[in-house]
Amino acid sequence: MSLKQQRIFWTILFLLMIMAAFIVPFTPLFRDLSRVYGAFLFWNIFALVVIICLGIITAKWRNFNGR
Amino acid sequence: MDANTIYLAIFLYFVVGSIIARLARRKLGSGVNDFFLAGRTLGGIVSALTYSATTYSAFMLVGLAGFTYIGGVGALGFELIYLSGLVLVAFFGPRLWLVGKRYNYLTPTEMLGDRYQSKAVAIVAAIAAVIFLIPYSAVQLIGIGALVEGLSGGAIPFLIGVVIAAAIAVYWTWTGGLRAVAWTDSLQAAVMLTVAILSVIFIAYNGFGGFGNMFTQLEERYPAWLTVPGPGFFNIHAFVGLTLPWFFFSLSNPQVSQRLFMPRSLNQMRIMVMGFLIFGFIYTLVSILWGFSARLLLPDLEVADAATPALLGLDIVPASVALLVMLGISAAAISTVNSIILTLSSMVTRDVFKNLRDNTSENRELLVGRIFVPIFTIFILAFATLRLDLIAALSVASSAGLLVMVPALIGAFFWKRGTAAAVLASIIIGGTVATVLQYSGFFPLGLWPGVWSGLISTVLFIGVSLLTRPPEQKAEEFLGYLQEELNTKKII
Repeated sequence: MSLKQQRIFWTILFLLMIMAAFIVPFTPLFRDLSRVYGAFLFWNIFALVVIICLGIITAKWRNFNGR
Repeated sequence: MDANTIYLAIFLYFVVGSIIARLARRKLGSGVNDFFLAGRTLGGIVSALTYSATTYSAFMLVGLAGFTYIGGVGALGFELIYLSGLVLVAFFGPRLWLVGKRYNYLTPTEMLGDRYQSKAVAIVAAIAAVIFLIPYSAVQLIGIGALVEGLSGGAIPFLIGVVIAAAIAVYWTWTGGLRAVAWTDSLQAAVMLTVAILSVIFIAYNGFGGFGNMFTQLEERYPAWLTVPGPGFFNIHAFVGLTLPWFFFSLSNPQVSQRLFMPRSLNQMRIMVMGFLIFGFIYTLVSILWGFSARLLLPDLEVADAATPALLGLDIVPASVALLVMLGISAAAISTVNSIILTLSSMVTRDVFKNLRDNTSENRELLVGRIFVPIFTIFILAFATLRLDLIAALSVASSAGLLVMVPALIGAFFWKRGTAAAVLASIIIGGTVATVLQYSGFFPLGLWPGVWSGLISTVLFIGVSLLTRPPEQKAEEFLGYLQEELNTKKII
């Protein structure tokens, strides 16, 4: 993937994930799921996926020490 | 808790922090870059810890636990979406770092002023930051004052707690600038996290017999607290209104975005970002579990913010741990306040003083910046002791108010057409709207001030830019340089 394509890919992916984090727990399925594996688990998984994605993106920074 | 024990704990804490601050001072070089940015040479781990300690304030174990107490799991969504706002750093972190080094920017607002070729932009953005961040800092001191007063049963008056906290913050900052702030922040972040984890384990095992039982009880007794809107506090308007401005925190708050200038390499910035994410994830979970525990153990509290002090007062938490938690919360507040004081001082000297006076020497600039460290501390202290309604409103409005900087920041890196007039319009009008709506409590169409200020500042930034003339030469040069560097380094 070219840099431009990567930028578009990550931007769309993050937009979708963040919109999901706003919307999914308010949908009827989750609204009535008063269990730990409902919204609580969903938001935790969301955060962990974001952290992993950022790990992948920032891994490319490691080669440049700016000296 | 006995007042003398609290005094002794704070004193010991101050001594240890002061030793660290004095050690940091030995490495202090000359010049504004060294005082305010540690010479852009911070290592990744210290960067991560100071970023964490600056970002997370007393709000977490007090305010967020309180949100969980009254609103349930929505508080977790709010805080984790905020944490996910670090995706912005994936795009803007390397860009700010690169231009910071090339143009020797001291503050993010200086970058705005230069990019849009307008001294007025830098001055107005700096003043807006002062207006919103001083009340925000005052609320941190108010939190410490109230906590210490509550824990000591009134034996340590509110005012004494506030003054002690302010004195610690100003002493460490004055001693060694950013190096001292970063090193003491590292100590404070370590204390914050260790104490928070330790205390939640005590609460879970002594209060419920384990985390599993805690959740089982929650599902049985307060099932609504595991859903949104659940008990009602986190209806969709409140959720979006609270969360949206905080999502942009890593860009909108200068005390945080200035930290993107500081790591000595992009590799160290990576350690900073990942370290912060892990810290934030754990600290968020602990704060939420704290709130759930209070809901189960203390169901009849009238004020949600009392959840933490009330939990500390229960006999399931040993007194020594309760004392450490008090220190941990104070550390969270002090580490936020001293970073804000330093950032605002750098903005006043670079963006206001230097722009208003030609031919200022670096020594003079540094002197002015240092003088503003105690001046801002006194302001914050005065605001904290007044405890006016307006302070609380401005503090709450800070995230909505600072959000108005975001369109200009995004435009600086991604839109050649952006203009200085548009930045001024978006910051001044957007910031005023945020403050008026927050203070009046008037939420048109049910939308919160942060949503309105974000929308208005974006529309103004785009609209006014299209009607005015951009600084074409600077935009070409600035973005051309970035494009080349990003392509060479293969950074998205």
